[in-house]
Amino acid sequence: MKTRILIFTLLMSITAAARAELKWEQTTLDLHPAVGDKAAVAHFKYENVGKAPVHFKSVKASCGCTTTQTQKEVVNPGEKGEIVATFNIGDRTGEQVKQVTVQTDDPPPAQSTIMLTLKTTIPQALEIRPTFVFWTTGEPPKPKKISVKASKDFPAKNIVVKSSNQNFESKVEPGSAEGEWTIEVTPKDTGQPSGTAIRLETDYPKDAPKAFYVNAQITQPQPPPTLRPAGAASPAANKAPPPAIPTASPAH
Amino acid sequence: MLALACLPAIGEGIYFRDKVSWQSSIPASELVTVDQAKAWGEGAIWVDARPDDEFARDHVPGAFSVNEDRWNELLPQFLPNWSPDKKVVVYCGAESCNAAREVAKRLRDEAQLQNVFVLDGGWEGWAKKSR
Repeated sequence: MKTRILIFTLLMSITAAARAELKWEQTTLDLHPAVGDKAAVAHFKYENVGKAPVHFKSVKASCGCTTTQTQKEVVNPGEKGEIVATFNIGDRTGEQVKQVTVQTDDPPPAQSTIMLTLKTTIPQALEIRPTFVFWTTGEPPKPKKISVKASKDFPAKNIVVKSSNQNFESKVEPGSAEGEWTIEVTPKDTGQPSGTAIRLETDYPKDAPKAFYVNAQITQPQPPPTLRPAGAASPAANKAPPPAIPTASPAH
Repeated sequence: MLALACLPAIGEGIYFRDKVSWQSSIPASELVTVDQAKAWGEGAIWVDARPDDEFARDHVPGAFSVNEDRWNELLPQFLPNWSPDKKVVVYCGAESCNAAREVAKRLRDEAQLQNVFVLDGGWEGWAKKSR
């Protein structure tokens, strides 16, 4: 009996000594891309500090906006490497948390599945509220206001606005502090559904000023289906076409 | 024995305490089931928050693609079809996906639209009940 216990203990010790172990430098990375960056890249570095090779079984991102790259499929004892996760910013803003799940054949359950986290803070150059104003058909054409505030990382001094539809007038008034403005949008006529995309152009950065958009719309509320004449087209078919987005104009 | 059996679970719970979401990220009032959304009929407008390629492969009939990859370009195409009497139903690719939640939040906060809901079960939930 004593011999069996001794053999069992020895086997356990050998197994523990020979185990693989992937040690991660950091499993959460904070990324701070600059205004205008298209992507944020995270390098998750690891080292196999165990005595057996580790195989990557899968590396999956939680979102289609994040792609991953592994340098190798097998990490031998003592080897170092990294998993590169690229988060495509697109038109996202604010704090974005994306995860990458890594599965290995590392035997301890806590180590076979590792969750890597990218916390990306995307700077918002301009805070625009609201980005959409609307009137219903027949409503008095009173002006509606949109507030615009530049962030401290985006020192724009001036903005100009341009509407794609002559039915909408827009003007910019400076706000109470530097880097703040109020845009006033007024439709000339609210009799028919129509819309516009209003282009806001900043004077920063000087060599490549940035453009932003707000939308204004005159909407026609839909009658309940029971009041609609038989054979009437679906609501989407009755709507105004999407507004043309003003094309790039010379920088101001 | 029972206490011993619970130890690994407790251990993992402590180890992964910062990595597990312990609460639902979407309040129940902002979620809508497939059956409820379908019952709204023409009173609902569907928004697909998935990437372009997934939308191109298949989508809810009549849905508008509004994703955050091309938000500035897609939003102006959706808004002319919106009206204040409509309920907006936003969906994405899987229950764990948060694209629908993000798009719904931006429609509420930035465009200040009312009655914006996230579809419980997402695209898979809709497809299961509709195909």
